[in-house]
Amino acid sequence: MIQLSKNYSLPERQEEPIPIKVVGVGSAGSNALDRVLLDGMDKADLIAINTDVQSLASSVATRKVQLGRSSTHGLGTGGDPELGYQAAIESADEIRQAIAGARMIFICAGLGGGTGSGAAPIVAQLAREAGSLVIAFATLPFSFEGKRRAAQAQDALSRLNEIANAVICFENDRMGDMVAPKAGIHQAFGIADMTISQSVRSIVNLIQRPGLIRIGFDDLFAALRSQNGRCLFGFGESDTDNRAHDALTQALKNPLMDKGRMLSEAAHVLVQVAGGPGMTLSEVEILMRELGRHVRDHTQIVFGTAVDGKMGNRLSVTIISSLASEDSIAAQDTSPPSEPFLAPPPAILEQVEEPPPAPPAIDIVPETESEASPEPAPDDLIAVEPPVAAEAPPPPVPAPAPSIKKPAPRLIPPKKKPVVEKEAKPPKEKPVQAKQEVLQFEPVTRGRFEKSEPTIVEGQDLDIPTFLRKNIRVK
Amino acid sequence: MSNNDLIVGLEIGTSKICVVVGETRPDGTLKILGVGQAPSRGVRKGEIVDFETAMKCVHEAVVDAEQKSDVMIRSVYVAVAGGHIQSFNNRGCVILPEERDEIDDQDVEDVKISAREVSIPAQNAFLHSIIQHYHVDGQDGVLNPIGMLGGKLEADFHIIHGVRTRIQNTIRCVKELPLEVEDVVFSALASAQVVLTQHQKNLGALVVDIGGGTTDYILYVDGAVKQSGALAIGGDHITNDISMGLRIPMARAEKLKTEEGSCVLGNCLPGETILLKDDSGFAGKEIERETLNTIIHLRLRETFELLKRTVEEEPFINYVGAGIFITGGCSLVNGIDHLAGEIFEMPAHVTHAQTLSGLTSAVENPQFSTAIGLLKYAQAVQVDRPRRGITRIFGRFFSGMR
Ligand SMILES: Nc1ncnc2c1ncn2[C@@H]1O[C@H](COP(=O)(O)OP(=O)(O)OP(=O)(O)O)[C@@H](O)[C@H]1O
Ligand SMILES: Nc1nc2c(ncn2[C@@H]2O[C@H](COP(=O)(O)OP(=O)(O)O)[C@@H](O)[C@H]2O)c(=O)[nH]1
Ligand SMILES: [Mg+2]
Ligand SMILES: [Mg+2]
Repeated sequence: MIQLSKNYSLPERQEEPIPIKVVGVGSAGSNALDRVLLDGMDKADLIAINTDVQSLASSVATRKVQLGRSSTHGLGTGGDPELGYQAAIESADEIRQAIAGARMIFICAGLGGGTGSGAAPIVAQLAREAGSLVIAFATLPFSFEGKRRAAQAQDALSRLNEIANAVICFENDRMGDMVAPKAGIHQAFGIADMTISQSVRSIVNLIQRPGLIRIGFDDLFAALRSQNGRCLFGFGESDTDNRAHDALTQALKNPLMDKGRMLSEAAHVLVQVAGGPGMTLSEVEILMRELGRHVRDHTQIVFGTAVDGKMGNRLSVTIISSLASEDSIAAQDTSPPSEPFLAPPPAILEQVEEPPPAPPAIDIVPETESEASPEPAPDDLIAVEPPVAAEAPPPPVPAPAPSIKKPAPRLIPPKKKPVVEKEAKPPKEKPVQAKQEVLQFEPVTRGRFEKSEPTIVEGQDLDIPTFLRKNIRVK
Repeated sequence: MSNNDLIVGLEIGTSKICVVVGETRPDGTLKILGVGQAPSRGVRKGEIVDFETAMKCVHEAVVDAEQKSDVMIRSVYVAVAGGHIQSFNNRGCVILPEERDEIDDQDVEDVKISAREVSIPAQNAFLHSIIQHYHVDGQDGVLNPIGMLGGKLEADFHIIHGVRTRIQNTIRCVKELPLEVEDVVFSALASAQVVLTQHQKNLGALVVDIGGGTTDYILYVDGAVKQSGALAIGGDHITNDISMGLRIPMARAEKLKTEEGSCVLGNCLPGETILLKDDSGFAGKEIERETLNTIIHLRLRETFELLKRTVEEEPFINYVGAGIFITGGCSLVNGIDHLAGEIFEMPAHVTHAQTLSGLTSAVENPQFSTAIGLLKYAQAVQVDRPRRGITRIFGRFFSGMR
């Protein structure tokens, strides 16, 4: 069944963007946040929250909150979540101030340490209390970090699961699989930071891009919320003649999508298609029909499209999906998130989002046309030439190209983890393919040059720092 | 003072918007009455990407200029830049009718039109046709053919063109203010008018204007423009490199670049650091000075090397006698003249608009070269104009302009 959700919740193109804040909690969270910023994020405010002042000082974030001035004295927690928790309670007012006014809060944290594990659930809690919607992006520690950290992380994860509207979780062990065995742990963390950054940016874009048929927050959460804690995520982009097919294929191949196999178990699939003014209805139809083959009949597909002048000839597909737990395929989306443990305002979603009017059958033509030809904005004028970027965007990943052995991180069900691991490690995968999948996740790191045409000369993207392209180490 | 004597130059730069108000004196000299400025937003790589925002900034700069110079601004000369700007040289030819053998100004006009009978991309528009030399019946080096006797007039032109919609964007931004646009001028051509003396143009010179978003260049040999263009690389790239390399916010990277940066390597003490103060009161971050300089050096070296490969596609650089003249905000990077000199293997100078009357030291800043240059350009054109009386934006020719 393909179900359309009408634009009942997101503002019109001309209106202000939805206020989103991305918060990095703890040192891992703040490193991931730096990466989000360096990869180019002008649609959200970034806030670093930490007990450790050294880490705070080196953060790129514009807003910083030091936790537990008197309990931890700027020194960090020594890996004790209890201290992280205390520090966050002590600084609750400052956290509230920093996160105030956001419709959505994204929380990034590396679980397992003291601050991320102890403070992130409090931040989530305060955000919900302030009426914000919360999506958490978390990592679980490497197994070599020890049992204690693993236990602390599981603890924090289940608390986050209770409070946040959605939790997207990556296993560091799988990140480790994505880099060469000899590569240092920093490279593995670099990959983790990159993956978090990609998913944060994709979801921000999903929300901020002016949509023709917009995706509502509740659709987003229904897709992200998963009874067994597993979440699928894929992104693909193409400018070929067959771009709809190619972008979808690429998205399905994403490691976080588990090669599309898991999609057949999904209760909800949320799809966002973005393209330049040249995107056609038939392309969208082809894409949806093809996607339909990868899901079961009763899977709800919620999809949104957006016309974005800056996309030029490119067409992108973002897929986000939750897996139904084995026993509750029928119960699917109807169950709201379980009650948060500190009882945050319960009815936020229902309050903010009007329930959609009776979903119509596919009928996107009129809307597509009404918005596909906006009055000539400067963007459109500027984009007269096909973007050069599409020809040769070398992946601007600062970390040395990882060689990946198997597809990787996914939303982890804390309890059913062993089962997942077995399924996820089939021996037949081709390493080279997987590597490309990761690097192509989002094409270019644009930073300051986000809105401009890339400077491609002699096949190189000169917007990427010279030292990175010449592989000269600076530190 | 009659408004006719007023000339206003406007540069919508990537980093700043600059409006220079000048006055032409009966004796032909130019006096600067005031300079207005505003930080630029909504401009990337020399092109407007956010129309509304850019318009507000231009308005701010114009108001500032009006206050500083105490005049009402009605019309402006506008500089354009951007990676879309291209150029080539072409020769035009006219054969005089049998019954006439004296060359008149219509022939000069026709030969220019003939030089433009060459195809440029459909979406492009001509920006300038700059005369290099005339040839009368095969005789070279004629400066002014009008009145000469001959049967065939040929002329070499340097032709600059760019993407029409992008040029129109700039024009629209000014017109909606509303201000009248007298003319649009490629920014390096404007800068060269005040950065170089006639003597340097004759000796041969390469002007490189490195701003926030673009590196614009123009090359003179024998007093004529031979090559010009723009690379969409500028100071923003340096700042972005620093921000990513040192993991500091753009604003601090910018500050670090302008206050501490240099492109000279091996000049620091081992382990020499810069303490970056954190405004939020946290302990500062230490930056190794050599690292900072390396990041800047690598970007500028790459840019100059790319520029060198670009100009070396034609032979003219070999005839440049006076050297390289670097202007624009990034010319202020310490050691940039040495780096350029080393790469091009010729003398390199950092320079700004040479003194005009009324020009205070405040405007002797390389960031203003383009806007001030517009005045000089306008002056040359206006001398030319009464005779021709054409005021179309595109498709006009100036014989006086070199
Ligand atoms: N003292 C300095 N040292 C190094 N760089 C500087 C200095 N002062 C200014 N800059 C740099 O010069 C650039 C701005 O130069 P300029 O004002 O000529 O550019 P613009 O005209 O706004 O841009 P463009 O012409 O490229 O569109 C900025 O990148 C700025 O960082
Ligand atoms: N993605 C990422 N994860 C990290 C990084 N550093 C540490 N981690 C992981 O995050 C967990 C928490 O560490 P950290 O954030 O330093 O602790 P905290 O500051 O006390 O929360 C560790 O157990 C690691 O698994 C990093 O730079 N990036
Ligand atoms: Mg400039
Ligand atoms: Mg410039």
